[in-house]
Formats: sequence, structure tokens, C-alpha cells
Amino acid sequence: MALTRGAIEAMAPDQSALAAASKLLQPAKWPARGRSGGLIWGECQGSGANPYRVVADTADPGSKCTCPSRKFPCKHALALMWMFVEDESAFKAGDVPDWVNDWMGRRRKSGGGAAQSGGAKSLDAARAEAAESAPDPEAEVRRKAASEKRAQDTRRSVLAATEELEIWIADQLRTGLTSFLGDLGGRCRRIAARLVDAKANALASRVDEMPSRLLSLSAEERVDAAIQELGKLVLLVRAWRANPDEPELRREVIASETRDDVLANAESLRVTSRWEVLGERIATRRDGLVSQTTWLMNVGPGPQRFAMLLDFFPASAGRRAGAFVAGERFSAELAFYPAKAPLRAVIASRGDPEKASADWPTAGDDPFADHAEQMLVAPWRIDAPLLLPEGRICADAAGRAWWRSNSDMWAPLRDVPPALALGASIESAAGIWDGARLSLIAAQTNWGTLGFDA
Amino acid sequence: MRDIDSSLARIRNAWMAGRSALEHCPVAWRDGTSGDGGECALIALTGHATAVLFRPAPPAPIAPRPLLPALAFPTVPEGARPRLRRLLARKNGASLERSLIDLVTARGFAMHPADWMPSPRDDWAPDLYAPWLDWVRAESKAAPASDLTLENYDQWSWAERRVELAALRQRDPAAARAIIAAKAATEAAERRVKLIEILENNLSADDAEFLATLAKDRSERVQALASAYLARLGRHSDSDALAKELAEMLEVGKVGLVTRRTQLVIKPLKNATQNTRRRELFKLVSFSNLAQALGLSEQQLLESAPAGVEDGIAEFVQMIGATGSDEARRLLLDRMVHDTDFPFAHARWLGPRLTPTERRAVLSPVLVRDPNLFETTVVLMGSTLGEAPISALEKSPGYAALESSIASVLEADDKTRTTIEPMLESTLNRVALLADARAAAELISRVTSRGLSPADPRLELLHLNAALTQETKP
Repeated sequence: MALTRGAIEAMAPDQSALAAASKLLQPAKWPARGRSGGLIWGECQGSGANPYRVVADTADPGSKCTCPSRKFPCKHALALMWMFVEDESAFKAGDVPDWVNDWMGRRRKSGGGAAQSGGAKSLDAARAEAAESAPDPEAEVRRKAASEKRAQDTRRSVLAATEELEIWIADQLRTGLTSFLGDLGGRCRRIAARLVDAKANALASRVDEMPSRLLSLSAEERVDAAIQELGKLVLLVRAWRANPDEPELRREVIASETRDDVLANAESLRVTSRWEVLGERIATRRDGLVSQTTWLMNVGPGPQRFAMLLDFFPASAGRRAGAFVAGERFSAELAFYPAKAPLRAVIASRGDPEKASADWPTAGDDPFADHAEQMLVAPWRIDAPLLLPEGRICADAAGRAWWRSNSDMWAPLRDVPPALALGASIESAAGIWDGARLSLIAAQTNWGTLGFDA
Repeated sequence: MRDIDSSLARIRNAWMAGRSALEHCPVAWRDGTSGDGGECALIALTGHATAVLFRPAPPAPIAPRPLLPALAFPTVPEGARPRLRRLLARKNGASLERSLIDLVTARGFAMHPADWMPSPRDDWAPDLYAPWLDWVRAESKAAPASDLTLENYDQWSWAERRVELAALRQRDPAAARAIIAAKAATEAAERRVKLIEILENNLSADDAEFLATLAKDRSERVQALASAYLARLGRHSDSDALAKELAEMLEVGKVGLVTRRTQLVIKPLKNATQNTRRRELFKLVSFSNLAQALGLSEQQLLESAPAGVEDGIAEFVQMIGATGSDEARRLLLDRMVHDTDFPFAHARWLGPRLTPTERRAVLSPVLVRDPNLFETTVVLMGSTLGEAPISALEKSPGYAALESSIASVLEADDKTRTTIEPMLESTLNRVALLADARAAAELISRVTSRGLSPADPRLELLHLNAALTQETKP
């Protein structure tokens, strides 16, 4: 079955999916599009930090997209196929990328992959619908006014909530940390619920996740870790109260800006460099969201810098394929979320993938001293990435793994490392240090780059 | 530093017990902790100080493990590694692990340790991986600079020792036997079996005396192995009465119009009990003893391929695989290859005993005779993989079946496709294990021209094979 306009209309789940797809037909939204045999693929920059990778089989219809949409095919897959039937020549013939091969290997064929549904669906109608939806200036003014009022209300309620949180922290000290650690889940859940009610959503999430962070440590480490966690909360809420318009603090307490806000912000740090994908971390949070973090490091000229592409999607959307493969390198301009030590970023523009390998920047001799400096700038941060110098991974008698530098600095690892790590010479490693555990992301070793899948 | 240490400890103890810690506040912090919210200010300072002042350290000194040794072969080209990882991770169908490792080794490459490392029990791993086996078993013995001898036997790690003994057996069978005879008793039963198995190579009458001493070994597996090797040397330890009983369940006829040749005929017996008994006897009796009981020489008994019921033929072939002399199994394989009426799938039982040279010699005729979509050929080739040229592959009935199953898959409806697709996938995998790199590339070209997508996951192994060439070596 060849791909035709009629076939796309038939496989679209509904007319609204086609209408949404029609808004993605501009080539500018697709930094990469390719084809090989009957396969077409592309990358679409959506509203998240990570681009969506989309692949479709035009010969034996089926598609896959890394977006969290529950619709199948999603608007990105429909748009990719739509662009293909309208202009095949815009798809560059080339080798099938590994992520496409991965999808082919896992693909479950289900009779053409089309989710047939009732109701007339039309590409032409979808395009016309998109053209008609021009913005209304008066409605825009009303929307802005309502938005400002909501922001003021939120600030008032969050202010009260942060004061309540400080009282709660003082209460935990007054009743004893032993008792607090004995009822960690219940106490944190209750105050997190109050924070949610007050619209301090980011703060609520952080408090809600605190038990899992503390319980991942040994019993004897938990008291110090609890003191650090509660202390950071105090620092954060006091800093926010002193400067509630500070974007970084607002992000940590209420909610983060959108990708478009970051791109539109003239104060956002922009860094154009060659970036290497170090790895990806997926974590399911207690609030039902899954966080997807892609860690990048610049391997071009300029000072060493990490960047974090962070997206959230509902756990109910199911397991999502990664946006990048560890080890990929590309040139890109990143726009960083405004912060004292900028880390979270979005991709403003990206070039083609690079095949040539690149050396990592040289790590400082004392990564923990660098970390302490970062903590002085933003002391409320739970963790921060580190570039570690030469060393080894060792296992103690209990089987717990440690990173050890050649100058005898140590850090216990959060996760069990791959077997090879214990037999490899670590030339440099990137990891996330939270003061108690080091989560390694990737390392350059005498066996090449080694990933530490968490 | 000591002052802050003790202050922090007192603050910690106070908070654990639910007491105010302000009285333990270091002097330098007093301004920041006075007034309302002093306890909260103190926890902010204490938490930050704890995070930045103290460096983690293990409770006891830890020594790193030795570095994983480099192997004699270069690692698989970087571009081929994602395919290898996908193939190793594949969960549907039979595991490809061993075949993949053998193919990669046959092409002169080693696996990247991030993709695959042997587990401590993987004695099947090719000799190349002996240093990694030592590493995963935490055997850190450094191999002596000289060759393996009786004197330095204990200085070798188990994996390296096996490799050295196998090499010694190849160049000096008597020396290897002397070491095994002297040291086998010091090894555990599982390892003793592995040592005795080394004697299979260049097995000769000179080994008989030592093998006879193993008749009373503590391990039944060692006893059985020694007994089978003795039988291959014509020194059967099984009872003549059993051989006679088996001979009475078989018939010997003559075939051929011009040259009359002896043929063993294995007819169905009267009832299931008798058939079961014959099956048992094929396992208990050695080939040489059976020939003797039938009043024939081994060569006479194998003048033509056996005929009769399939089960009986399979049991007879297995008997030769276990206890037949090298000459007997060579004759039998030759008869099987040339007798087109013979159910060739049973040839698989002779596979483990073929040497790489013998495998290469029979590859083309075996491919022509293999009716099972390359399955029998793969079994017979053992670890000698990736050597079949396209000219040999396309003469196999499996090749025609492959072409027709591609057409069937492309034309079938969803229901039918689910039954044909697994067969197509396993056929493609088998042919990919057999093909040489040029043939693999040619096969990809042919099957994609017939309609399969170049990115079809069923072609992964063919793509990998085509990428493992000398040109891709660093």
C-alpha cells in the first residue's frame, strides 16, 4: 500500500489531529528529514526541550514518534507523511540512522498501523482550518490581563505557603529529626499537598520527592542528608521571598517558563558550540509525571559547560524512546534558562550530526571544590553536574561502588556500574553529585566512551 | 576545623532529639541566626556547611581491580556495535549470543566489553576470551613467560591453562596427556571433564592406558567421557551380550546393481517396548562392538548410508557421533552427503566432532543436501562460520525456500504473515551466519530487490556480517 493523501486521511485518528499536523508543515520546524527505501524520518522541534524523532514506513504503513501523545498516529507522524506525499524531494536520501533501526527492531505490525475511526477527515479542510485561526488582538489583551491577575494571586498564596513551610521545618526540628525520619512519607506528603493548594507546584514536587531521595541512603547518612535538604528549602524560600521575580527562583518555587519564553528572553544565555550527548535520565515522579533529562556537554572551544534538556510527560503516556543516542555530537545554539549558574536549556538551532570524535574538556583537579563554588552561587540546588578527572571505579567489600580519583578523592556511586567500569581506566567522567551520591552519566575510558544507564 | 566539627555534631544531636540547637551555634554564625526563624537559619547554614566541608571516603581502604586485559583481536568496528547490541538484546526466537560471538571471532574481531563480556561460567567462549574469563572470575594469576609444563601448571589461571593445554595437545599430544594425567585428579569434576575433553583432539591408542584409569573416576561424567573415547579407539567396555541383542534388532542387506554394498537396515520393531529397548541399546553399545556383533568390519557396515525408520537412523548416527572412530564418522558423513535418499537432518549429530578443516571441506556439498533452511549446515559448521560464498549458498534448497518465503510474506495477509515471518527471520539469521562478507552484502541486495526494506530488522545479522571485513579493521 503506497502512501497517498487518502491513506493519511484514513489513518488519522480524527480531524483535529490533521488540523494540528497542518500547523507543523513548515520546513523550519523540521531541522532534519531523511529517507531510505520506503522509510522516512525526521526530527520536529515541539514545545519541549528535546526534539521529537518521527519515523514512518511508507511501504508498509506504520509510524512512531517520541512525543507523549496518546493519539496514534500523532500529529508529528501525520505531518511527516503529509510533507512526504506533497514533496518527496525535501527528504534527503541517506543511511538509515540507528534510532530508526531500533524502531524497526521493536515494531509491532498491526495491519497497516492505521487507527481507523469514524467521521470524514480531510487534509484540505485541516489546512483551511489552520489558515483561518488567526489571532484576535482584543482577546489577546484580555488573556494577558487575566494572566497578570492570576500571577499576582499566585504570588500572594505562595508567599503564605513559603512561610508555612518554614514553620513546618521548625516543627520538624522541634519534634526531632528521628521522629521526622520515622514518618518521612506522611509528613512530606501533607506539606506538599498544602504547597500544591497554594500553587507552589515546583516546591511541592521537590518536597514530595524528598523521602525517596533520603530513603535511597543508608540509615546513618539520612540525618545529615535531611539537614541538608531542609536547609536548602529554607535558603530557597527566603531567597524567593527576597526576590520573587527572579526567574530562577520562580522556576524552583512555582513553575518554569515555557520554551518560547526562554527563546524570547533577551537575557537568556546563548551558547553556540559543539555538543556531545552524554546520556539520558528518565525518572517517574510521585506526582505521576515522568521527567526526561538529556545531558549535554560542550566539546567545542570555550569553557567546559554542561546543559540539561528537561521535559516532563505523563507516566500514563507509556515508555518513551529517547530523543538522542548517547555519544551523538552536533553543533547547536542553546538558549539557557536564566540562572546564576545556567544549566537547563533548550535548543535554539541545531546543525547536522557530526561523525568526528571529539576530546572532552580537561577536568579540574578538584571537582568537589568546583561543586562547592557552584553551591555558593545557588545553594538551594539539590545536585549539580561534575566533570571528574582521571581515576578508577572500585567496589568495596559490601559491593558498593566508588569513584576514586588518581589524587585519592572518593565519591560513592548511586547505581551499580556496568561490569566493565571496574576494569577500565577512567580518563574523565561526567556525573551528578548531590553531596551524598554520584550518579555517573558517561565516562571516557581506555575502552572508549562508557555509558552508565540508570 | 575541629571547632566546627564538634559544633555540627552537637547541633545534629540536638535536632535528632528534638532540642533547640541554637546554643551550639558557632560564634561566626550567631548574627545570622538571631531573631525569629533562628532555628531555620541555623539549619540552612548547617546543611550547607555539611555539604561543602566534608569529603566522602570509604570506611576501609579499597584497591581497584586489575584493568580488563586487551585481547589479541581488535574490537568490532564502532559502526557495527549498535547492530551487535540490538542482536544480543533480541528477545524473540532463539538466543543468537553464541553464534554471534563465534561469527565475530571467526572474522578476527573481539567483542567490545561494554557490549558483551563472558559470565564466569561461560567456558564455551572462544579461547580468545580466556583473559576476560580470568578477569570476571577474579583469577589474577599472571601467566608464566614459558610454555605450560607440569611444574608450572598451578601458576596458570584455569582459562589460560585450558587454552595452553589445547595448543600443546595439537603440537605434542603426549606431553599434553602427561600433564592432564598428572593433574586431572586435582581438579573438581566439572573441570576434570573439560581437561579430558582436550584429549579428543589427536585422540590415539597412546591415550588408551590413561583413559582406562578413569573407569573408576568419582564423576560419572568423566567415566562416560573416557569410555566413549576408548570406544572410538576400538576398546569397548560395553558388554558383548548387549551388542548381540542390538544386532538381532537390525538387518544387514545389500544395495547397488553393479557394486554390491552392505547396508544397515533399521526396520520398525513389533511393539513400542522393543523400540524403546533398541533406543537404549544404541546408547549403551559402541559402534565397533556392534560391527563385531554383526560380523562385519566398521568399513563394511558403512559401505552405504543406513536405511529404515527415521528414529532408528538418528540413534545410529548418534552412536557413531559418540563412539565411532574418526574414520567411521568420516565414512558415515560421506555416505550421508552422497545418498540423496538419506534424511540429511540426522547428519547434525556428527557436527561436534568435525574439525574446522573437515567443516570447510564439506561446506558446499552439505549446503546442497541441507533440506532444513540451512539449519543442519549451521549445526555442522559449529564455530566455523561466515565462510560460505554466494555460489555455494544459492545452490542450497534453503536459498530457494528463502526467496519463496519473502514473496509469501510480502503477499500474505496479517494472519498468514505471523506464521511465515518467524520462519523467514530464522532462515535469514542462519544464512547470515554462514555467508562470507561478500555473500552477505549480495544477499542484502537480492532480498531488498525482492521487496524487503533495507532497514528490516531481519536483515540485521546480514548487515553485521557484511560489515565485519578485514577492511574495517583498525
